[in-house]
Parts: sequence; structure tokens; C-alpha cells
Amino acid sequence: MEQNIIETDILIIGGGTAGCLAAVEVRERFPNLRVTIMEKAHIDRSGCLAGGMNAINAYLNPGETPESFVKYVRFDSCGLIREDLVLSMSELFEYCVKKVEKWGLPILCDEKGNYIPRGRWNIKINGESLKPIIAKAAKNAGTKVLNWVVASNYLVVDGRVAGAVGFSVRNGNMFVVKAKATIIATGGAAGVYKPNNAHDAQHKTWYCPYNTGAGYAMGIRAGAEMTSFEMRYIGLRVKDTIAPTGTIALGVGAPQINSKGEKFMATKYAHIGGDGAPTPYRSHGPLQEIKEGRGPVYLDTRHITSQQARDLKSAFLDMYPSMVLYWAANEIDPSKEPVEVQTTEPYIVGGHTQSGYWVDVNRKTTLDGLYAAGDVAGGAPYKFVSGCWAEGVIAAKQAGEYAQKNDFAEIQASLVHEEQDRAFAPLLSFTNKKDGIKAYDMEVRLQKIMEEYAGGAATYYEVNEERLLVARRRLATLPDQFKHIIAEDLHELMKAHEVIDRVYVAQTLVEHMLYRKETRWPGYCTRTDYTERNDEKWLNFVNSRRDPDTGDIEMLTRPYVQIVPGDRYKPR
Amino acid sequence: MPVIIHADKCNGCHGSNNPPCIRMCPGDLLMKDSKTGKILMRDPAECWDCLPCVKVCPQEAIEFRLSYQLGFHTARLIPHIHDTRDFITWELIDTKGGIDKFTIRTKILPIELDEKVEGVAAVDFSI
Ligand SMILES: Cc1cc2nc3c(=O)[nH]c(=O)nc-3n(C[C@H](O)[C@H](O)[C@H](O)COP(=O)(O)OP(=O)(O)OC[C@H]3O[C@@H](n4cnc5c(N)ncnc54)[C@H](O)[C@@H]3O)c2cc1C
Ligand code: SF4
Ligand code: SF4
Repeated sequence: MEQNIIETDILIIGGGTAGCLAAVEVRERFPNLRVTIMEKAHIDRSGCLAGGMNAINAYLNPGETPESFVKYVRFDSCGLIREDLVLSMSELFEYCVKKVEKWGLPILCDEKGNYIPRGRWNIKINGESLKPIIAKAAKNAGTKVLNWVVASNYLVVDGRVAGAVGFSVRNGNMFVVKAKATIIATGGAAGVYKPNNAHDAQHKTWYCPYNTGAGYAMGIRAGAEMTSFEMRYIGLRVKDTIAPTGTIALGVGAPQINSKGEKFMATKYAHIGGDGAPTPYRSHGPLQEIKEGRGPVYLDTRHITSQQARDLKSAFLDMYPSMVLYWAANEIDPSKEPVEVQTTEPYIVGGHTQSGYWVDVNRKTTLDGLYAAGDVAGGAPYKFVSGCWAEGVIAAKQAGEYAQKNDFAEIQASLVHEEQDRAFAPLLSFTNKKDGIKAYDMEVRLQKIMEEYAGGAATYYEVNEERLLVARRRLATLPDQFKHIIAEDLHELMKAHEVIDRVYVAQTLVEHMLYRKETRWPGYCTRTDYTERNDEKWLNFVNSRRDPDTGDIEMLTRPYVQIVPGDRYKPR
Repeated sequence: MPVIIHADKCNGCHGSNNPPCIRMCPGDLLMKDSKTGKILMRDPAECWDCLPCVKVCPQEAIEFRLSYQLGFHTARLIPHIHDTRDFITWELIDTKGGIDKFTIRTKILPIELDEKVEGVAAVDFSI
């Protein structure tokens, strides 16, 4: 195995939605700085955008302002968000969307050339090729791209992130990238819990199954402060395909109904907005119907015309083509029968909820030299594509300024060797011992623990102290088992690190769920021992920091700050 | 089952070491068989059904299938990229053979049949 040593001013880990925009922004603002993207796949089609997108879900349609957006997101997240972060990202939606449109993204417009709104915050796009479009812009900007290099850890020198280490899944070379400043943009984490489907459909998940929490885990291992992991994302999705429901609910206006045909959201949750209730309630509501024997639950699409059904299919073809094949393969016509829905496996996704790095308004993490953007960054839910772009832009600006002022850190060879040993251990174990556990085995073990004790679908995602303590104890054994993981080839080595990273995420998550003794987000994290929301004690952020030396996870709270006045539980 | 590769249609992109289908898979699931020069799927259970590989293949050699647990045989969904690269026509075939077509605007960028990889020699792509 060889070592490739690279020096760059700015290292961006994860060349996805946030990463590509960050690369362009650095090069435009600081043409003297060298930028390198480290990406586990190929930036042309990696991460969440691989299949395409049909809408930009965070945009200020006519009449809306950053303040009205904050009010809505605050309502949607049950009264607790980092308002400074949400304000700063929404101020950049326009800038980012216009930029990507200029690069070639088709955005649907009316006769007058105005974007076509879908609800208050969405605009429709033909985004099948969105990822190659932004990847091309990143390349054209003069970014050096390391495709198929899986980041495994930061290089931390005296508390400063001075670059990162990764391995190539193509030839097993180790990449040591020394950087003045680093932006982490690896997305969220899927596969921490048992997925909705099994066997040859186990990766038929909503969230990108190749985003496995690497950025979170690297931060956790290095002692970065993390926030709000307990706000898991459990989405309402189309049954079986796990396709997004926004396309249907917002696209054609389809209320949820139970098996009796009752519009339960409209009746039981009228006080918080009915079918427009905060997102966690739109998962909580149907779960209660199913639990109480009134499932299956559907989105009622029976009022739509056959033309609308065609439009719906076209929209899915831009983002989630398997949805359309599913209907054809099961003889389902959404204009004649309602669309059955279900809730997803719990994901950790800072762009839908707000789990991730604790950052300041400049997206600086608590580690010197490290900035975070997109689903990996915490505190700002409702990011979606455009919010991730905005955070990439903000992080780029700040990382660029940091790189102008700071030189490379001195990196000891021992630091690199230590990570080399850790990163390649599963390959060596295979060569030396043959016998051991495969990444897949550990994945299933992890998912079983999380499913059964840390609020998986089987328990309606509910948790209590006693169950969580079992999860904590079972998870505590897994890190000692890492040494038994074997990988036969480089693809398996990648899989090994994916599961190792998810174990770190799971341990942090369990501590967060244990710590917040209230139910703020029913559906996402319902505590059966603390069933109510408690603003007096818990209107604050639950944060954690793992001690890199001892491995102990310390919990702390950070205060909520209201910037935009108004009732925190009202959408306007 | 997710995607299947029709070996009779795959021409290996004329000896390409790093053909578009391999490059477009976000899960690193496609690889070249050094003996036949054709493409193999590593593990169908790891597939996300996202379809970039299907859309990018110039020979339409990669076909998308739903896992049988999710949908009945022989429904099919085949994207045809227009020569102008600004439209895709999706051909949807239901279980009874009924055909429907959807033509949608897009912006497909031209793609090279081969590409060098930073820090990696060409031979590293084959198994
Ligand atoms: C199916 C689906 C549909 C969606 N639809 C919409 C929509 O229509 N509109 C909308 O606004 N939002 C939508 N979203 C949400 C939106 O796509 C995401 O919030 C956003 O793309 C996340 O951006 P990101 O940059 O954080 O992550 P990504 O774009 O996923 O980028 C993360 C990158 O990091 C790479 N990476 C991961 N681990 C490593 C590692 N160890 N080393 C190196 N690289 C690594 C990944 O390969 C990937 O390229 C959708 C999401 C999904 C999953
Ligand atoms: S793109 Fe198509 S023809 Fe080219 S190597 Fe891949 S499967 Fe074969
Ligand atoms: S459908 Fe997506 S995940 Fe599956 S092989 Fe093709 S590109 Fe890879």
C-alpha cells in the first residue's frame, strides 16, 4: 500500500450538495486558495442527490421573508431551533438557487417567468441531473477531486483539525491530506436502525444508504461538540418504496386518512394545524392510528384527475423513479385508490431535523480549523437542498478566511501511522486470521440493538430509561469487537468503516435520548416515562462531547435564544 | 434484484477502464470483469435503486428491476435519453404489457467513456 500525501489550503470532505457549492464559493472568493474534495464515491452522482430531485424545498416564495421562514421552521420543530443559523441560511437561498439555475438546472416557471411555488417554501425543478450539474461547476472552478477516497479520521494537532486521512477503494492507497482549513460535508446517517425492507431490498431506504454518519463519527472521535441527536428523523413515506410524500401531499393536496376513511390529522390534530401540523406530528398521528388498530394509513389521492396522476409520476421520475415502477408493478392507480404510507427507520439527518455538529453562525465547529455544512451540521432543520448549499457557502467564506491567516500544522508521522493501522486493520485481520465478523454481521447486530432497545419501528419508536440503558450496555461491547472485523477487499473495508462509524453515532444518540427527559418531538422521540413537553426545563439544546482519551461522553445543555419575536408554536 | 446487466448489450465502453456506469454509482457497486471486459454487479442487496447507472449507459445495457418482494414481474421502467440531451423519455411497462411514456425536460451533460482517477492506476478498476 502506498501513501499519497497532498497539501491543500481547503479540504472539503464529502463532495455532495453542500460540498460542491462550498468548493465553488472558495474558488470564487479566494482564487489563490487550492481546494480539494475528498469523496467516497464519484462527485458526479454521489450522496442524496444521486437519483435526482424534483423540488427545492427551502425557498422564500413571494411574500415570505427570512423571519417568516424562521417562524415556520420553529413551529415545525416544536419551538426549538437555532434561529441565528436558520436566518443566516435563508438569507442565501436566492443566491444559491440563482447560481445553480445559471449552471443549467431547469426550474419550472409560469408564462411570466416566475418560479412555480409548491406551498410556501418549495419550487419545482426538473432536477434529474442536479448532481452532475453542481459537480461540473465544482470541477470547473478548479477543484482537485479525490474520487473514491473514503475519509476515515481527521488529523488533529493540538486540538486543531489539520486535514484528514482516507483510503482509496480503488487501489487501497492511503491519502493523507494536509489542509489549513477543513469543511466537513458528509451528510447524515442511514442504517443505524433496522431498515424498512429486508433481503435484496434492504437498501431500499429513503435516505442515501451510503451516507453512514462518517462526518459525525469523525467529529465524535475527535471530541467535537454535537447537538440534538435525540431529534431523530422519522419520516412519513410511501409504503414499501419509502419514497418522499411531499411530492404527493404538497403536489396534489392529499390528506392522511385511516382504514375507516377518517381524516384523523384534520380532526385530532386541528389545534396544531391538522395535515399541516409540525412534521413530527405527521408521523406521530398515523403511528397512533396504526397502534390503535385503525391502520393501514393512506394519503387520500382519490380526488385527483388522471392528468394529475401523470404529473405526479413525472415528478417522481425526476427524483425517485422506482415509485413509478412500483405502481405499475402492483397495479396501483393513485387517482383511483389512496396511497398507503408508513414511517421510516430513524435517520440522523441534520438537514431535516437538527442533529449534528454544534456550530456558530459561521458554521465553525468547536474544533479549531473545522467547519460543517449540510446534513452533518446541527441546529438548523429544514435545510434540504438549498439550505445545504447556503451552509456550504457560509462555511466556504469562513474556512477561506481561516486559511488565509493560518499556515499548515506540523503533522507527526506517528499520527498518520496510528490511523493507518486503525483504517486497514480489517484487511489485515482477514489476511492473518480469516475468521472473524463481517461488516454486515455487525451492522445487523447494531440495528437489532437499536431497533429493540433504542426506539425502533417495532416499538412505535418509543423509548424509556430502562430500555435505553439496555441499549447503552449492549452498544458498549461493540467497540471492543471492532478488532474482529474482517474485510476481504476494499469495498468490504469501506463497509467495515461504515458500520464502525454508525456505532459511534448510535452511542451518542442513546446518550442524547436518555438525557432529554421530556417529549418534545412526538413521533421522533417519544419517551413513555416523560410524555409531555416541558419548556420550563428543556427549552434548550442537548449537546454531547466524547472525551477522545477516555471515551466517556459528557452531556451538557446550551440555551435557546429567541431572535424572531412571536408565539413559538405558531407557523406565522 | 435492483439492477441487472445485460452482458450481450454491454460493450465495455470500448475497453474503458473507468466507464460511466462505474463512475455514476454512489455505492461503488459496479465493477469490470477483467476477463470479459464487461460489468458486474457486486451485490444487488446494496443497491439504492437510484438509477444513474441505468441512465448513463450508452448501450442501455443496465436494466432496472424492482425486488420481487416489492413488485410483480414483468413490469419495467426504461429511460431513453434524447440525442439532444435535454429530454428523457421514460417507458413504463406494466405487468400486463401496457405501455405508458413520460417525456421530461432535463439537462444531461456530455460524458466521457473513460476517465483518469487522481492517484489511481487504470488496472485498479478490474477484479
Ligand atoms: C431521496 C431523497 C429525496 C430528497 N428530495 C429532496 C427534494 O426534492 N428537495 C430538497 O430540497 N431536498 C430533498 N432531499 C434532501 C436533500 O437532498 C439533502 O438534505 C441534501 O442533499 C443533503 O446534502 P449534504 O451535502 O449534506 O449531503 P449529500 O449531498 O448526501 O453529500 C454527502 C457526500 O459525502 C460523501 N461521503 C459520505 N461519507 C464519506 C466519507 N467517509 N468520505 C468521503 N465522502 C463521504 C457522500 O458520498 C456524498 O457525496 C431529499 C433527500 C433524499 C435522500
Ligand atoms: S456504461 Fe454500459 S456499455 Fe459501458 S461498460 Fe457500463 S454497462 Fe457496459
Ligand atoms: S441503481 Fe444506483 S445504487 Fe444501484 S447500481 Fe445503479 S447507480 Fe448503483
